[in-house]
Amino acid sequence: MNTQPVILETRKIVKQFPKVLANSDVSIQLHQGEILALLGENGAGKSTLMNILYGLYQPSSGEIYLHGKAVNFRSPREAIENGLGMVHQHFMLVENLTVTENIILGSEPGRGLTIDYAAARRQVKELSERYSLKVNPDSRIEDLSVGLQQRVEILKALYRKASVLILDEPTAVLTPQEVEGFFTVARRLRDDGVSIIIITHKLEEVKAISDRVYILRRGKVAGMRETSTVSKEELATLMVGREVVLTVHRTPHQRGQKPVFELKNLSVQGERGGEALRDVSLSVHPGEVLGIAGVDGNGQTELAEAIMGLRSVAAGKIIHKGELVTGLNTKKRIHRGIGCVPSDRHRHGLVLPMTISENIAMGLHRDKPNARFFSLDYPAMNSSANALIKRFDIRAPGPLTAAEQLSGGNQQKVILAREISRKPSFLLVNQPTRGLDVGAIEYIHSEILRMRDADAGVLLISLELEEIFSLADRILVLYEGQIVKELKPENSSEKEVGLYMMGGGP
Amino acid sequence: MSSEHSAQMKTPGKFSSIPRISAIVLAVAGSIFYLAGQFAGAVLILLAGGLYLAGLRLEQGDGGIREAMARWKKILAAPLSGALIAIVIGGIIMLLTGYNPIKAYSALFYGGLVKNWHISVINAAPLIFTGLSVAFAFKAGLFNIGAEGQYYIGAMAAVWLGLILKLPGIISLILVFAFAAALSAAWNLIPALLKVKTGAHEVITTMMLAHTARYLSPIFIRAFGGNPSTSTHPYVTDEILPNNFLPVFKTLFPNANYRLHTGILISIATAFFIQYLLTKTRTGFEIRAIGQNKEAARAQGISIGLNVFRALLIAGALAGLAGVNQVTGLDHKMFENLHANYGWNGISVALLAGGHPIGVVFTSLIWGILDSGGQYMARTTQTPNAIVEIVKGITLFLVVARYISFYLKRYWKRWNMSGGK
Ligand SMILES: Nc1ncnc2c1ncn2[C@@H]1O[C@H](COP(=O)(O)OP(=O)(O)OP(=O)(O)O)[C@@H](O)[C@H]1O
Ligand SMILES: [Mg+2]
Repeated sequence: MNTQPVILETRKIVKQFPKVLANSDVSIQLHQGEILALLGENGAGKSTLMNILYGLYQPSSGEIYLHGKAVNFRSPREAIENGLGMVHQHFMLVENLTVTENIILGSEPGRGLTIDYAAARRQVKELSERYSLKVNPDSRIEDLSVGLQQRVEILKALYRKASVLILDEPTAVLTPQEVEGFFTVARRLRDDGVSIIIITHKLEEVKAISDRVYILRRGKVAGMRETSTVSKEELATLMVGREVVLTVHRTPHQRGQKPVFELKNLSVQGERGGEALRDVSLSVHPGEVLGIAGVDGNGQTELAEAIMGLRSVAAGKIIHKGELVTGLNTKKRIHRGIGCVPSDRHRHGLVLPMTISENIAMGLHRDKPNARFFSLDYPAMNSSANALIKRFDIRAPGPLTAAEQLSGGNQQKVILAREISRKPSFLLVNQPTRGLDVGAIEYIHSEILRMRDADAGVLLISLELEEIFSLADRILVLYEGQIVKELKPENSSEKEVGLYMMGGGP
Repeated sequence: MSSEHSAQMKTPGKFSSIPRISAIVLAVAGSIFYLAGQFAGAVLILLAGGLYLAGLRLEQGDGGIREAMARWKKILAAPLSGALIAIVIGGIIMLLTGYNPIKAYSALFYGGLVKNWHISVINAAPLIFTGLSVAFAFKAGLFNIGAEGQYYIGAMAAVWLGLILKLPGIISLILVFAFAAALSAAWNLIPALLKVKTGAHEVITTMMLAHTARYLSPIFIRAFGGNPSTSTHPYVTDEILPNNFLPVFKTLFPNANYRLHTGILISIATAFFIQYLLTKTRTGFEIRAIGQNKEAARAQGISIGLNVFRALLIAGALAGLAGVNQVTGLDHKMFENLHANYGWNGISVALLAGGHPIGVVFTSLIWGILDSGGQYMARTTQTPNAIVEIVKGITLFLVVARYISFYLKRYWKRWNMSGGK
């Protein structure tokens, strides 16, 4: 048992959204200097609870105690003044400001209207060295990878002297390599007396980093465990309410002779000029999952965009079912049965203010059964959305709920439901399970394998080797825009693939 | 969780369609009566409202009614409360400057709502069209600030064809409308093309074309009858052929004012059509999608360029209809230097309505009432008409400030999340 004093506590927190009870009677305790994990399915109410602690939402009822005193934060500003810091599931940085500017935004040092920029820069540098959160204080946010942006978010909270740090799915956006570094930082912070609440869907991360773990299920606390005494399987069962298969079983399957999808010597320009992809050739056969392993930023986004016709091709060919599709627009590609699950669900995946059924129909909204003549057939759209909500276990009041009101993981499920239900002959999935809970991952993985077994070709881009190894029949390693190696998962190891991903190899 | 809520999807049954249809018939009939100045029409409208609510209750229970009320409150609360506060402030200003606000306002409302109701309605019709134009473009994330120019093009096109076209029945009139709408849509081709090809902002291009269209009009007027040597100032075109006049209410309602034409009915019908277009059709769906998230829409194969085209062309046609409406309904010719500013005011009513097509009908009526009532007030109580402009200005300010504060709040929330002070 932890003998340190309780620093933060919730008592019987209830949060009722219109139509959704997000938290009901949630009581948790955070001790001084511990790392507390919060585990729960998508839509269990984790982000909602944290947003309540941080003063973003007001609870419908219940109390919060900080250092034994009842508090009621009406805004994040009050929470910050009381020593709370939070890094959100979706970051909140100002893209075109520098790291230092972002960090001091809102608590600028200096007198009156002048900002002591030099002092700020020095402090940021000190902090980042102390916690080995290395980042150049003068870079612009838009030039930083998500992993670095997250460091900025953490530095920002530390700059404000947070003694309680809330991290909402911090590892979802990190590469496996970055996760290790992040854990070192978290431990160092804990040793400095910072108390940390961390949300994650990865059970091994819970095991690796936390001291205790609370499990939330459908808005209620389903249990609390000391991390050292609990197994991954028990956690999964507590979370989902049934036993979960942590790795799906991939049965051997004969792949088709003729490739369903091919890239031939594809070169693509990057966002800032320069070649993002150089001379990439690959072929995906019906009934196989081809995995693309690589560290984020090695051309994955450009590859996905080129395949969907969202980015023009500098040289090379894209071939679908033996026909050249390089010149076709996105609409034609979708109608040919090419599907895509993009990696950035808010930017490319969903129109957030639109409803679930509108988002699911989008793309095929001109066709039956979504449309009749010039009109959309809303009853038909709603009933197919309703069926998918059930099938994919999307936690939402109904098909008319706006996508922006869903939890992050459920938004992802909407996109997956849309693409998988279209039965594409070729499906590109780019980090399909980012932010999904174990139960949902199990389901999505089995759906992807079912598509493969039904002789669709699947191209899986993932930053997670574990995912690639459990799904892919072949693995290509992408490094600096080039395919550097092809491997068979049976004859390789995560370690070997990891080596090629870093540009190494024998 | 999902199963509990499937009830909200219940499709309308056979029984509920009866109150629904009768409610629509009653509402349409009542509105026509009311707009014609037969205020007993209000009884029919109230009856229709009652039926609608009863039908909704039958269909969806009390929850349905509450939801419908909440929806309407969202559309109407802002403009109505804004106007109310502005009227109070206007009253204070009158008190301070030595006018009698009670007398002035009674004159204003008596004039706007009763005595000169027909003028209010005549004023509202073109505003509904230009307001719809601006509101429609908003949905695609575009700002059609040059509705004024498309208005002029529509008016000129109507005069041009109206002077020569002589076909039986209403065919002629329909063709005049279609022709004018097509030309004013075409007027927006250039901004659309520039937007798609070079990214030039539509605010600048449509604005420039608005000035172009206005300066074209004197040339046009001189070419079609406005001869400086024969006609007196202001120069006007010849009168269009009578078969191209819009019907007036007087033919059906002998008591109606002889100038009150049926353009208002067309404009309201257009508002419903636009609402339908946006919420129920494939085109409207694409336009809303690109307005709300271009990137995600594009990733699903929705063409941004095509929909920018559609949105700007339809917006152009709508603003052009305002011009046709004036020419065929009210003036029957075109005046030079008649600064009615329907295009610019369309921006105001669209903003007031928060971009909602049906909301535009109401905000245009409010604007029309304030205008006609203001004139009546100035004539009968010697209170300067400027007070109406002040009230309008404050209303707009309050409502727009509300939207701005809404966006600021969003921004503020993000700012707060990151701990700003
Ligand atoms: N602003 C909102 N309005 C209405 N409902 C909401 C809102 N925000 C969240 N919800 C609902 O509350 C429930 C809990 O959401 P929350 O974001 O807390 O889930 P979560 O546990 O963080 O899930 P995830 O792991 O997917 O991020 C969900 O059913 C969600 O749809
Ligand atoms: Mg969440």
